[in-house]
Amino acid sequence: MKEVRRHARLLGLYFSQYAKARLEHRVDFFTSVFASFAGTAASFSVVLLLFSRFPHLGGWTFPEIVFLYGFSLVPFGLFNVVSPNLYEFSGRYLTEGRFDRILLRPVSPLFQILFESFRLESLQEVVTGTLAVVWAVRRLPDVSMAGLWLLPLWAVFGAVIYVSIFAILTALGFWIEDRIGIAPPVFNLMSFGRYPLTIYDLKVRVLLSSVIPFAFASFYPTVLALRKAEFIPFFAVVPFVSAASLLLAVFLWRVGVQKYGSTGS
Amino acid sequence: MRPYLAFARASFLNLLAYRARYFVGILTYFFNVTVWYYIWKALFSEVPPGGTLGGFTFPEMLTYVATGWVLRSFYFNEIDREIAVQVQEGRMAMALIKPVDYQAMTIVQSLGESVFRAGFFAAPIALVLLAVYPVSLPASPSAALLCGVSGILSALLVAAINFCVGLIAIRTYSILGFLRAKYMVLELLSGLLIPPAFFPEKVRPVLDWLPFLHMNFTPGRIYLGLVSGRAALEVLALQAFWVVALLFLGQVLWRRTARHIESMGG
Repeated sequence: MKEVRRHARLLGLYFSQYAKARLEHRVDFFTSVFASFAGTAASFSVVLLLFSRFPHLGGWTFPEIVFLYGFSLVPFGLFNVVSPNLYEFSGRYLTEGRFDRILLRPVSPLFQILFESFRLESLQEVVTGTLAVVWAVRRLPDVSMAGLWLLPLWAVFGAVIYVSIFAILTALGFWIEDRIGIAPPVFNLMSFGRYPLTIYDLKVRVLLSSVIPFAFASFYPTVLALRKAEFIPFFAVVPFVSAASLLLAVFLWRVGVQKYGSTGS
Repeated sequence: MRPYLAFARASFLNLLAYRARYFVGILTYFFNVTVWYYIWKALFSEVPPGGTLGGFTFPEMLTYVATGWVLRSFYFNEIDREIAVQVQEGRMAMALIKPVDYQAMTIVQSLGESVFRAGFFAAPIALVLLAVYPVSLPASPSAALLCGVSGILSALLVAAINFCVGLIAIRTYSILGFLRAKYMVLELLSGLLIPPAFFPEKVRPVLDWLPFLHMNFTPGRIYLGLVSGRAALEVLALQAFWVVALLFLGQVLWRRTARHIESMGG
């Protein structure tokens, strides 16, 4: 428990330090937020333009689609806030030798990599997504209140799933020297979870619910609120998938760090 | 011409150095088409069999999506990021001392990359998509030829756009965030994700007056034979006009930026 408190305090310090540095250039920061929002708005427009014309997609109504897509932006946004260093880990930290500096400190290396810098502007995705969910809830006749109350917590579980999967992929950098990594196609798989799982074939559903469990990050968290009876058992599994992927990520990082030999640079 | 060929060759060889990229890249594009395959399949199941959405039948839409992503794998380049990084890291001086036109050098490098991408990304991705999904071949031999011309113009257009974007991105602190947003906005405006028929009536004319539809929609509809003969040539001429116009804009932006950079030394 003491360890958790220490890490929470450290996270707060890392975050406020970074935010202070970032807000020094205020105009630039707001430009970034605006650019980030333009991107989100563009991809959201695709969904709105396409699905507003149809009464439903795979048995889901338009407000339900907006609910799902809006919600998916929340864990995705949280993931984006902490992920920039994961992408650059192999090149920036391993190849360029910055990792040695990390190892000298008495804090978990994965913790430091995740929280050394943030993509603050991605917080707009969390806000935009939340607003979309609110918009949708007002148009939905029957939403489960319990499902709505649990949604923020489930969004955090979803973000943990995203972060853990990419942390696992990043950990592979300890074994395979590869500047690109296998992250890009996996990143693109995330977009599958933004649409109702009902539009996919069994093989895609199984893939998204097992090997790369993105359905647990964005799709299953919404099914309780939207009262999708057939999927509700999966809702309860989300915290477990989240915990399991986090444990696997932490474990692989431990083993990887043991194996790590500095380039000496 | 000779020095420019050397730049094209160098960027070709650079790409060859990272082999894992191909498999990863092919898989990425495959996933992108796959998610849209399912979305369109679900949407077309709402209309009577053989019905159209936005003027496309299901096989046409699927072909449109596939050609769109194959084309993207061909025209994709990151010269915007490279320009911005060069300036921010102070390496631009190296580029400036070369006795060549900076814009021409950058555009030619990106074409070198596209030649490479044609063979190592676009062709294998096209084969995979043809094997997995019911994608149709070009509507006619002339459609194939004109689509090829249009595809090359697309690559030039994207290079011209990215050159301008790079010069603008220099001014922002988080270049990567800016460029990420660019991808999402262009995926919408180029017609890559949805054909322009799905836009509201009022927005359509605006789209037609922007260059972005020429990135994807123009070659896509030529491939499908939705525009052919004289009309196709007219569309190609308009596409070529935009290439010239944006290259000119890039040159103007560059002249303004270069003056600024010299003062920084680098």
